Amino acid sequence: MNESPNNSVLEIWQSQPVEVTKMSAEVLRKRANKLEHRVWWRNAREYAASLGAAVLLAYSFATTHDLLSRVAFGLFFLGLIWIGVQLHRKGSAKSMPTAVDTVSSLRFYRAELERQRELVSSIWSWYLAPLVPGFIVYTIGHAIRVPHPAAWAKLALLDAMVALMFLLIWRLNMRTARCLDRMIHELNGTN
Amino acid sequence: MSAIETIPARASTPDELYQDAARAYGPALERLARAYEADPDLRRDLVQEIHVALWRSFKTFDGRCSTRTWIYRVAHNVGASHVLRQSRTCFPALVGLEELENLPDTNSDPDRTHILDRLLQLTQRLKPLDRHVILSYLEGLDAAAIGEITGLSTSNVATKVHRIKHLLARWFQQGGKSDE
Repeated sequence: MNESPNNSVLEIWQSQPVEVTKMSAEVLRKRANKLEHRVWWRNAREYAASLGAAVLLAYSFATTHDLLSRVAFGLFFLGLIWIGVQLHRKGSAKSMPTAVDTVSSLRFYRAELERQRELVSSIWSWYLAPLVPGFIVYTIGHAIRVPHPAAWAKLALLDAMVALMFLLIWRLNMRTARCLDRMIHELNGTN
Repeated sequence: MSAIETIPARASTPDELYQDAARAYGPALERLARAYEADPDLRRDLVQEIHVALWRSFKTFDGRCSTRTWIYRVAHNVGASHVLRQSRTCFPALVGLEELENLPDTNSDPDRTHILDRLLQLTQRLKPLDRHVILSYLEGLDAAAIGEITGLSTSNVATKVHRIKHLLARWFQQGGKSDE
């Protein structure tokens, strides 16, 4: 093989003009801290939202005298706990050691993407389904407590909106699963 | 081998190791970022992200591999995560070296700028592992060093490097002259 064309390409590549980034230790620390704070706040927001919903449901459970409504709030509460446990168990992102070789890092990414795909494609079973019993019992309880056609119509509208929201969440997650699938496919065969 | 290779890992603090790495490999990191991100603003962010990852990584540097291998591993992994993150929104199809060899060369102008532009365009389209290999090759690393960075066997690297050489020679030669 004639090496000169390749050497020229290497020379062109290595001698390309670049503006070298200089970051002081202070700037590096600030950026690293900013990243850590962003992750901390994101987790804190998620936990605060879950805690807020749990407190609200617990309060509703304690103050409602109607038996079916209490059962419904109890089921919602249990559903939320189930979702939280599943999210913590399956959804926690693992951080990759930064200096592993490429083959190992790609293996790690693939495993992470597959885990995320499993999580989003099974959204129905661990995220949506646990809330359904609560909605059903709440609907029945409300329909019995307020036996008026107008109230039933409102209830039907509310249920339809919830069903629509569930459908939307499910479809969005299926789209994400397809996207992840494509990324996994791209990574397959690279080693 | 760069000067940083002679620095004993235990004799330096992580901050000093980072400063030495940034000094010795700064230009290589910039070139590497170019192969991962075409947009100048996003590229600036990527370079900073690489520097932060490198700075943080030296806290766990145990000297079991050379600093050069460590630096390239960290930089390539940050680059690959960047590509994967970007690909969630816009997804240009990534190809392998074997597919790249079959792409028609639309311009055989051997002008330096053209060669550089074409190198960047093509490396930006490569799948992560092939991209790591071609970039390491362009940085002048030998098969053993590329194998250490990527985790590929030396024979596998040699095959890929052979393909890269063939590909580069094809682009570089004017008028369809063969290099082999």
